[in-house]
Amino acid sequence: MTDADRIPDTPLFDRPRSNAGYALNKMAMGLSTPDGRAAFLADEDAYLDRFALTPEQRNAVKSRDWAEMVRLGGNLFYILKISAVDPTPIRAIGAAQAGMELQEFLDTRLGKVTNG
Amino acid sequence: MAKLLAGLGTSHVPSIAAALDKGLRDSAEWKPFFDGYIPAQKWVADHKPDIAVVVYNDHGNSFFLDRVPTLALGVAENYRPADEGWGPRAVPDFQGADDFAWHLADRMVEGHFDPLICRELDVDHGLQVPMELVFGRPEAWPVKVVPILINTIQYPIPTPQRMWDLGRLLRRAIESYPTDEKVLVMGTGGLSHQLQGARAGFINPTADREWIARIGSDPERYRTMSREDYVEEFGSEGAELIMWLVMRGCMDETVNTLFDHYFAPASMTGAGMVLLENMR
Repeated sequence: MTDADRIPDTPLFDRPRSNAGYALNKMAMGLSTPDGRAAFLADEDAYLDRFALTPEQRNAVKSRDWAEMVRLGGNLFYILKISAVDPTPIRAIGAAQAGMELQEFLDTRLGKVTNG
Repeated sequence: MAKLLAGLGTSHVPSIAAALDKGLRDSAEWKPFFDGYIPAQKWVADHKPDIAVVVYNDHGNSFFLDRVPTLALGVAENYRPADEGWGPRAVPDFQGADDFAWHLADRMVEGHFDPLICRELDVDHGLQVPMELVFGRPEAWPVKVVPILINTIQYPIPTPQRMWDLGRLLRRAIESYPTDEKVLVMGTGGLSHQLQGARAGFINPTADREWIARIGSDPERYRTMSREDYVEEFGSEGAELIMWLVMRGCMDETVNTLFDHYFAPASMTGAGMVLLENMR
């Protein structure tokens, strides 16, 4: 894969993104245990302090800015675990990244092509 | 010697599991999806496989980015459902076909495939959902399983040709295993979907339907496509479809497509299956 960003709006999880997002994804991976989820819910700031997030990454997590988390190296399979402690439907996460309202996202990306 | 019973390709979308857990199997949204699996379920039940080899990718549940095996093989006696953030799902543990798996490990390394050998492994929806789609929700699974895990998350992911070659090897391993057990090989993942970036929500039903129609009868194009082509045509996570090539590669050149099914969207994903049988 010599040109990972050849396909528009499609961030492949390559070495630069994996490096940039390592701490962010590690933070999210911590939510795959009951202890991690309890700690996040009890005191999100204290939980985030355990990980070497950049200020931008920390802000993205705190504001549940999914597009920004991905831009900063987050991979959906990890950061999705945030939606397990702060429930957010996957389609809403998709719409947020597409920059659309949910209904527009369902109609234009998923709905109109349902029986394509 | 053991026998390759059939090859099955299927989606493993986690929303399928969520729909089952919420009792939505027969809802208007989901019933057409699940009903499409009934003929293949019946065929498999009638033909009674002993072992299911399930080729899938872990979704950041059992492997983190600290170590990313391109290829991993389960040799455990038992596999528990993974905690994906909501606690482990209430599905039965999976009994491992550990003796066959060690045989497969030997054949893989002799054939220049070198897997991470996993003695303890929790299995996520990538294995759970295909098992549920084929066998329903029994109190105990009617087959033993062998998980084969492929990295499809962090680049570089393996090439489609490599997946095909792994399938060729898997066929030889099955047919050199000295029991009379019947093996069902499942290639899982896809179909088109994209979860990341501004193209999130991309699905491509036209390409999906072509895949379903041609993976049995004319797979050559898919074996020779680049990984980038997969991402472009099927979306960033749709590139999981390369794992179906392990299944297709272990079949004969000419196969019967016994059953197929396609449905879109299952959550944010084109979803479906094929069941392939070698010509006799």
